[in-house]
Amino acid sequence: MTTRVLDVSDLPMETADSRALLWWGNVGMLAIEGTMFAMLIATWLYLKTANFDWPPQSVPLPPVLWPSIALGLLVVSALFMYLLADRGAVKDDLNSIRVGHAVCAAIGVAFLVIRWKNMTELGFKWSDHAYGSVIWTILGMHTFHMLAATGETISLLVYESVWPVTKKQLLDIRCTCVYWYFVVISWIPFYFIVYVAPYYVRKG
Amino acid sequence: MSEYALTDERELHATWKPATGLLGWLSETGHKPIGLRYIVTAMCFFGAAGLEAALMRLQLSRPNNTLLGPDTYNQLFTMHGTTMMFLFAVPVMEGMAIYLVPLMVGTRNVAFPRLNAYGYFVYLFGGIFIYTMFALGAGADAGWFAYVPLSGPGFSPGKRVDTWSQMITFTELSALVVAIEITVTAFKQRAPGMSLNRIPLFVWSMIVTSFMILFAMPSVMLGSGFLALDRLVATHFFNQSEGGDTILYQHLFWFFGHPEVYIIFIPALGFISMILSAFTGRKVFGYPVMVSSLVFTGFMAFGLWVHHMFATGLPQLGESFFTAASIVISIPTGVQIFCWIATLWTGRLVIRTPLLYVLGFFIVFIIGGLSGVMIASVPLDLQLHDTFFIVAHLHYVLIGGAVFPLFGAFHFWFPKWTGRMFSERMGRLSFWLLLIGFNVTFFPMHLLGLMGMPRRVYTYGAQMGWTALNQLASAGAVFIVASIVIMLTNFFVSRRSGEPAGNNPWNADSLEWSTASPPPPYNFLHIPVVSGANALWDAAPDQPFVTGMRTHRREVLVTKTLDAEPDHREEIPGATIVPFFLALTTTVALWGAIFFAWWFTVGTLLSVIVLLFWFWPKREDVEEHLENERKFTLERGGEVPT
Repeated sequence: MTTRVLDVSDLPMETADSRALLWWGNVGMLAIEGTMFAMLIATWLYLKTANFDWPPQSVPLPPVLWPSIALGLLVVSALFMYLLADRGAVKDDLNSIRVGHAVCAAIGVAFLVIRWKNMTELGFKWSDHAYGSVIWTILGMHTFHMLAATGETISLLVYESVWPVTKKQLLDIRCTCVYWYFVVISWIPFYFIVYVAPYYVRKG
Repeated sequence: MSEYALTDERELHATWKPATGLLGWLSETGHKPIGLRYIVTAMCFFGAAGLEAALMRLQLSRPNNTLLGPDTYNQLFTMHGTTMMFLFAVPVMEGMAIYLVPLMVGTRNVAFPRLNAYGYFVYLFGGIFIYTMFALGAGADAGWFAYVPLSGPGFSPGKRVDTWSQMITFTELSALVVAIEITVTAFKQRAPGMSLNRIPLFVWSMIVTSFMILFAMPSVMLGSGFLALDRLVATHFFNQSEGGDTILYQHLFWFFGHPEVYIIFIPALGFISMILSAFTGRKVFGYPVMVSSLVFTGFMAFGLWVHHMFATGLPQLGESFFTAASIVISIPTGVQIFCWIATLWTGRLVIRTPLLYVLGFFIVFIIGGLSGVMIASVPLDLQLHDTFFIVAHLHYVLIGGAVFPLFGAFHFWFPKWTGRMFSERMGRLSFWLLLIGFNVTFFPMHLLGLMGMPRRVYTYGAQMGWTALNQLASAGAVFIVASIVIMLTNFFVSRRSGEPAGNNPWNADSLEWSTASPPPPYNFLHIPVVSGANALWDAAPDQPFVTGMRTHRREVLVTKTLDAEPDHREEIPGATIVPFFLALTTTVALWGAIFFAWWFTVGTLLSVIVLLFWFWPKREDVEEHLENERKFTLERGGEVPT
């Protein structure tokens, strides 16, 4: 009897795209985080229907200028992330990746500074009322993710400046890009809830 | 060919060999040891929770009993429920999946072995945490679902509820990482030829379960997180007087809590299908229908949560919708039960202990399902809410639906885990004791509930007329304890002195039975190639297998999601102690936070440091990778930049 075998020694070792295990694991994590964010928005909506006074009268209308600038910066950063880091990783172009990461790290830090300023100027605390609790939780959770994304980008920038980059690292870079898009996109509904909704949803 | 296989095996073994010693134990990343650790740890918690239940039954065996005071009793029923749901039922199913899924799909390890080790330690530390606090007198005491306002800062001062809410974070974290590993392993690491329509039914059930975990657990993490924030930093999510809402907590909890029931139950459905096909000698009737029923159950489970909240005075239209949904979900389960009956009917039955447990499941679970259909209707539910009828129903569903199949599965895969057969006589004895003991304990609770006995009362007066049925229930518990003791004794004794089992003692059909018992650290000498839904039964005499995998690295074959065509090879990490340290820093963050909020920040920063160690690769690994990539490009006539 002859032995039939399926020889796989010709197959590539490691890929840096959506076929890789890590890429799927990353998407799974984003599904979890996305569900968490969706439930957070649901909480805001639920509390809105449960309260006549929403946001409470004591809450000042939020300033729109700086948060909008920050949102704009974030959206622009996603473009840099895509065009320089993500495309760069596909083409194995290290310089493009490094520039992309440097720009995004800078924007990330700038965004966090503006976020800090906005948080100190909110005019209410988490312990003032349920509205304060949910808004501070939204800001806190998004800030936490933004810190993580910025920290990751800076770590990658350090890594790719001092150590060799293989397919494995290219995959890390692309997964971080996906995470970055997630953090940017999730801020859009949160931005509307925190800074725009108060102008429209208050009754009476 | 044989010479090739021999050299192959030696190096493969050296690469995959588990480390020894304490350090080796803490660094283990193999799916089989970690799966078994989950199972053993979960069984220890099962024992603890069982002891708590036994104490409660002892207390209720006489009216006006003073054995336990109300405060102790509150802690006992809370710890019992919490332990059974979060530290036993979900983790034990995860442990089974971690052990079995990679074997069943024909790969060498789970997709993210370090994450797997991390998940186990986080679960272990979470369990140690809540039991340490319990021993120190801060046992959770607001029920396993910790409703506000009772569990809020106003009515539960102290640390008791905080331990509960943090334990949730621990266990959900662990469940979530397992869910991701299992999904990716089942979708990307299947043996060539195992297309979606050839996946073993247990693996399908774990895919559905994992997806449910992904979308259900975040809700309870948020809910218990809000509760912790309300208690620790004075937010007002559930404080009615500051614009919060108590019912919001119930929504967040049950949006997780109902799927949770199915997260426990659906893996059990997978066990049943695997056991039935082995002991009827035929493939399970209606494979496509079985899979669609699993998926349908998974979706429907998210549409029923409000039926736990009928007594909260929700709008009637909403209640009617959830009544309808609760009745609809019995359809896919019914379909599966009919498919199994057809399998039993047309197969050649071999009655062994695992099959007995499955038959026991049919009896017990169907009773539980019927009482479920009863309380799905709002008027009856309002009458029975918070009575012992509910206690009876949930135990029939969970013990019948999950524990019976689980114990069947323990017996079924015991020969694979240990390489030995268990004693059939003791197996049967433990089964009959459990079946009788279970019904004697829990059936009277239906009647007690109908007579109006509320749940969660530490005693009752003799004039209520509940004494005889309570005594009957307490007597039944003795049989259950005896059954568990016999089962464990059987396992302990047979582990050493049972008959050698061989690779496939049941003549079963899935891939784990094609390798040695217990399987070698790398699972399969050669990754198999699959040509049918019942991999071993459908295999040709000269069934091909995979060659050409690197053996000096821990390498797995990644295949395409739909048809499992070979796609590429990926190296996965070996033994490392970093996950253990990350679990420690996570514990610092979560345990510390209940005393002082800044501990959370401290733990997080420590975790970041550990994570840098996690991600930073070894120099020699990077260089080998570069070399491989260079060779790979050259072999294909490409150019390598110098």
